[in-house]
Amino acid sequence: MNALRSRLSAVVADWRVQMALVLALLLAAPLLSPGTLQIASFVLVAAIFAQSINLLTGLAGQISLGHAGFFGIGAYCTGILVKTYGLDVTLGVPAAVLLAGLTGWLLSFPANRVRDVYLAMMTLGFGMVFFEVVREWNELTGGTMGLPGVPSAALRTLTILGVKVDGLRYFQLVLLVTVGVILLVRNLTQSRIGRAFYAIQVSEVAAGSIGIPAGRTKQLAYALSGALAGLAGALYAHLVGYLGPESFALPRSIEVLVIAIVGGLGSIAGQVLSAVLFTFLPERLQVFAEWQFIAYGLILTFSLLVLPRGIGGLLFEPPRFIKPRALTRAARLRADATALRPDGGGTALEAKGITMRFGGLVAVDDVSLRLEPGRITALIGPNGSGKSTFVNVVTGIYRPAAGQVRFGGRDITGLPDHQMATAGVVRTFQDPRLVLHFTVRENLLLGAHRQLRHSGLAATLALPGAIAKEAAQLALVEAVLALSDLTEVADRPIDTLPYGTRRMAEVGRALLARPRVILLDEPAAGLSETEMDRLAQLIRDMRAMGIAILLIDHHMDFLAGLVDEVVVLDSGRMIYHGDIAGMRGDAQVIAAYLGDEATHA
Amino acid sequence: MDDFFFSLLLAGISVGAVYALIALGLNLTFWTTKTLNFGQGSLMMLCAMLTVIIFSQGLAITLAVVGSLVVVAALGMFIERWTVRPALKSSGGSMGWVVSTLGFGIFLQGMAAKYFGSQAVAFPDVVFTAQDFVTVFGQYISLQYLVVLAVAVALILAFELFIRRTVWGQAVHAVSLDPELALVQGIPVRRLILGSFMLSSVLAGVAGVLIAQIGGTVDPAFGFDLVLLGFVAAVLGGMGSSLGALAGGLLVGVISKLVGGYVSTAAEHGIAFALLMLALAVRPQGLFGRPEVSKA
Amino acid sequence: MKINRRSLALGAAALTLPGLVRAQSGTIKFGFTAALTGPFNEFGEGINRGAQIAVEECNKAGGINGRMVELAEVLDDQLVPDRAVQNLRRILDNREIVGLMCPSGSGPTLAIADMIQADGRPIINPQAQTPTIVYPNGPDKPPRPNLFSISIGNLVESEKLAAALSEFTRIGILHESTGYGVTGADLVRREIMRRKPAARVTAESYNQRAQDMTAQLVRVQRANAEAMLVIGLGADFAVIRRNMSRLNINLALFGAAGAVTVPYIEGAGDLVAGTRAVNHAAFGRRPMHGAAQKFVDLYRAKFGTDRWYGPDAANPLISLAGTVGSGYDCINLLIDAIRRANSTSAADLVRALDQTTDYEGATVSRISFTPQNHVALKLEDLGTYEMLKRGDRVVLELRN
Repeated sequence: MNALRSRLSAVVADWRVQMALVLALLLAAPLLSPGTLQIASFVLVAAIFAQSINLLTGLAGQISLGHAGFFGIGAYCTGILVKTYGLDVTLGVPAAVLLAGLTGWLLSFPANRVRDVYLAMMTLGFGMVFFEVVREWNELTGGTMGLPGVPSAALRTLTILGVKVDGLRYFQLVLLVTVGVILLVRNLTQSRIGRAFYAIQVSEVAAGSIGIPAGRTKQLAYALSGALAGLAGALYAHLVGYLGPESFALPRSIEVLVIAIVGGLGSIAGQVLSAVLFTFLPERLQVFAEWQFIAYGLILTFSLLVLPRGIGGLLFEPPRFIKPRALTRAARLRADATALRPDGGGTALEAKGITMRFGGLVAVDDVSLRLEPGRITALIGPNGSGKSTFVNVVTGIYRPAAGQVRFGGRDITGLPDHQMATAGVVRTFQDPRLVLHFTVRENLLLGAHRQLRHSGLAATLALPGAIAKEAAQLALVEAVLALSDLTEVADRPIDTLPYGTRRMAEVGRALLARPRVILLDEPAAGLSETEMDRLAQLIRDMRAMGIAILLIDHHMDFLAGLVDEVVVLDSGRMIYHGDIAGMRGDAQVIAAYLGDEATHA
Repeated sequence: MDDFFFSLLLAGISVGAVYALIALGLNLTFWTTKTLNFGQGSLMMLCAMLTVIIFSQGLAITLAVVGSLVVVAALGMFIERWTVRPALKSSGGSMGWVVSTLGFGIFLQGMAAKYFGSQAVAFPDVVFTAQDFVTVFGQYISLQYLVVLAVAVALILAFELFIRRTVWGQAVHAVSLDPELALVQGIPVRRLILGSFMLSSVLAGVAGVLIAQIGGTVDPAFGFDLVLLGFVAAVLGGMGSSLGALAGGLLVGVISKLVGGYVSTAAEHGIAFALLMLALAVRPQGLFGRPEVSKA
Repeated sequence: MKINRRSLALGAAALTLPGLVRAQSGTIKFGFTAALTGPFNEFGEGINRGAQIAVEECNKAGGINGRMVELAEVLDDQLVPDRAVQNLRRILDNREIVGLMCPSGSGPTLAIADMIQADGRPIINPQAQTPTIVYPNGPDKPPRPNLFSISIGNLVESEKLAAALSEFTRIGILHESTGYGVTGADLVRREIMRRKPAARVTAESYNQRAQDMTAQLVRVQRANAEAMLVIGLGADFAVIRRNMSRLNINLALFGAAGAVTVPYIEGAGDLVAGTRAVNHAAFGRRPMHGAAQKFVDLYRAKFGTDRWYGPDAANPLISLAGTVGSGYDCINLLIDAIRRANSTSAADLVRALDQTTDYEGATVSRISFTPQNHVALKLEDLGTYEMLKRGDRVVLELRN
């Protein structure tokens, strides 16, 4: 099965096969009956529509139960512009795409305030409100009577730039648009944008820690997804020629969700196959119409159980998130990890009087410390002493009740986490928060996200400049892989690797985020002796680069040879600050660590 | 003028009670698993449909209702075991169970259409008839609606008491806060979850029967729209809050009726969903809910 | 995996099927798409049965000049406009199809109307009521050349309803928020105002399947309406009737086609007594005219006293005319046109249909078309029924 899968994936990914398929379809089209051509055009519209769900749900992880709304906005926009106002299709369709994209962008603001089930509800509400508006806005949309006579292939009334377009030409046109959409979505997936989408799906906190802003990323996802759905709707309008509100109600939202899920979220080829399956077969298999609801229901109920990654996951290998072209190019480059040295020397981070409360509980109580460039500070203390909370405050996840975080002479208290990371304050987590389906290399490249500053358009079109920038960062990734002894497993997905390897990968990813200050939350937990040595070496390398390092850990042996100074917390208060030798003799520290056991004994 | 207002208000309260009852059923599973059954409408439909069918075989109406409720309760267990549990186990956030419960609802709807026909069938009067009403201050108040209101209020009080006063209520509370911790503490988490789905389905069934007798007919698509409004009620009141369900239901009911009466009947349906989006954007935790503490 | 392979195999089998059907040529072929399954199949399956009866009857009598007729393409759209468009394309691709019947509802029919007009083959509309289906540019402009209608169009229905309602001065209309409901309400209102300028009409809309209509009803009540008309499905009408009872609203109640259907009669129970409804008059007259009686007998012989026919063998449901009879008439009209034209070419058939004069249909007793008039149903083909309670049964009596 796996061999078959990789062979199929290779075939599908081969551009010659792709070209041949498209050419064959273009050339064979004149041989097909108008009915087959029309249904084939419906398949293509469904495929584009499914890609819009794929982008929003499959990549960015945002569920939508109201996508028919975007589809309808696209359809009505071009329908009204072309039919009522006599605009050319070449203006109507782009206007539809823009309007739907804009709607998506606007919806992202309320949508970003909620998640999970609430998001499902909100998008459901969006779809319902759209449906009601279309139905009642008689003057514009024709209300319940619909909008008949939209110039379309079905009515043989479609002209584009003065050229008459029949069913055959329209199919060929839609085919080319679909191919374009698929290529762009693939480019997008294999760019910084696609990786960022996937990263916020997996963990918004982890994404924020390396400088990916969850809010803005989701806004982009909504806008792009809305635009794609709008495109599908616009093409639909000029395919059927009649728009009625019933075509844009909840069942269409559910249908596209079914297509996307069965196709396999994340898999582009799977979406296309699924669109064929769900659009072509029902029309051909008329006899089974009465089973349609039952079949849909069963598919939705059990598809995630039986085929968790859909047809795409069954037939093809999981999608990859780096463009092969960038990889080939990176292989020719050499980079040195010392290039990750902070520009203009290091910067000190100073936390002053940090206090954090949860309800009545004081988790961190008036803690002050200073992290100097090229120094390793250990933060230790019993469980629940407030170490992680302190890191969360410094990195912008919590806003402190009192106190100040200053960095390079600037007050950065309470900045959102991704801005902290952008400023150079980067952290790792107690439990490694990597993207499990990404390979080690992809995870590390994710760390370099904010170094990739080329425009989204360049990324989507895979322009040479964008590829060159990706390649340059990939060369750095290669250097860090070597430094952290991960070269051998670089192309293995993280979820197939042992815990210790994941830890190293997370530290490597943080390093690629160009930290000036790095806060490592128990990086050595669960590591073997050898792995610990490797980690210690990596931390020393970082110190040598002039990075300020905060290290939370319990292993005294691990810390002993490594750290420059130690801070001990107990019940949120700082009880010791000094060198490690002094700590061993400190009465308060001993009491904190042994006290509990002593009193309980 | 006053009569007009009071009629609308009463109707709003009446349908609001219906929404509250549905929201209450949705809340139950939210307590234990933070999930909602998106196919709840089909359970309402199925219970009402089965009642009609059993009743038409000549059995007493009470027996028909009880028999249907038993079937629906069993389905509730099935839903937990085969749609929600696997979805929760696999990673993928809420996506999994939203889709699988929705799918099971569509499946039930398809089965009902296939085997019971897709036409609306007449539903027998269970408790009162449409002609039964009492007069309060010159206003006619339908007894059928009063029953729904009474059932909703009684259940909400019962749930509040259950959660606050009983050991099992404490257990449910513990499960809702942290299921793993609850399991460690020896609480039979599995049984509680299963029970919550059974009870939630039974509530859906009760709501289905009570509403079907008001409208007088039931068809396979029955319940779907109502559950959407139940969602609105639950969200508005704050997911998981019983009092919130009541307040949310009444609010949706009264506002949509007043908008229908004073502005336009065409806007009556859309306003509920506009309200939903607004509420989610402004106060996602609802009127009576507490904001979720995001754990880093 | 196994499932996929099997369904793909089934798909392949289905793809080759049309070829098999085409092999037995020589028959005269008709086609249509309708809601054969799904929530609205009462109508779609109805016209399908009507069409089957007409075809069997014709073939039993030797066909058309010895050629058998056949329903070669019968496709299911579940009243979804998209599916109707796809199905119609497939039907039109079959060049052997010589005549068609419109889908069972306004939504899909509106969606395919422009398409069939572009194709040119004759199509007859059994059920969809919206006037723009026949007259896209308004009722005083020419109809679509190849589209004919025998349905109870909104125009005629509203005239009949307005005639009955004009005895009142203050009138409320409750209509479903669909194309059918909105147009119907608008036309009835205009017709009442034309007949009786002093009348006051309030129209309120509701969504299909709404479970409470209080807001609509109290608005009608506030307008002091003496009579109320409901335009919508039977099940919704039942909800409205019960809601009226709960609000203790008593006024003269009128209904359009939905009122004569089973869901209203059963759903509202005893409360239906007194409701007046407008529908085909043919099945309410005693004796029925010849074609109506013949159709009723054919239906009973083939399908028995089922839910379309009703339990009473002597008195079929009034709704049988609209649900099944109209499909029967559509196919018969096509057969008649082929006989007269002695041709199956689209142009000849359209010309023959345009010359149809006083053809005796089951639902419309005298069907005539001209190039300017493509609507067969006239005011006298409709009757106003009053619902009465006779013992345990509800009886519909034709008033005028």
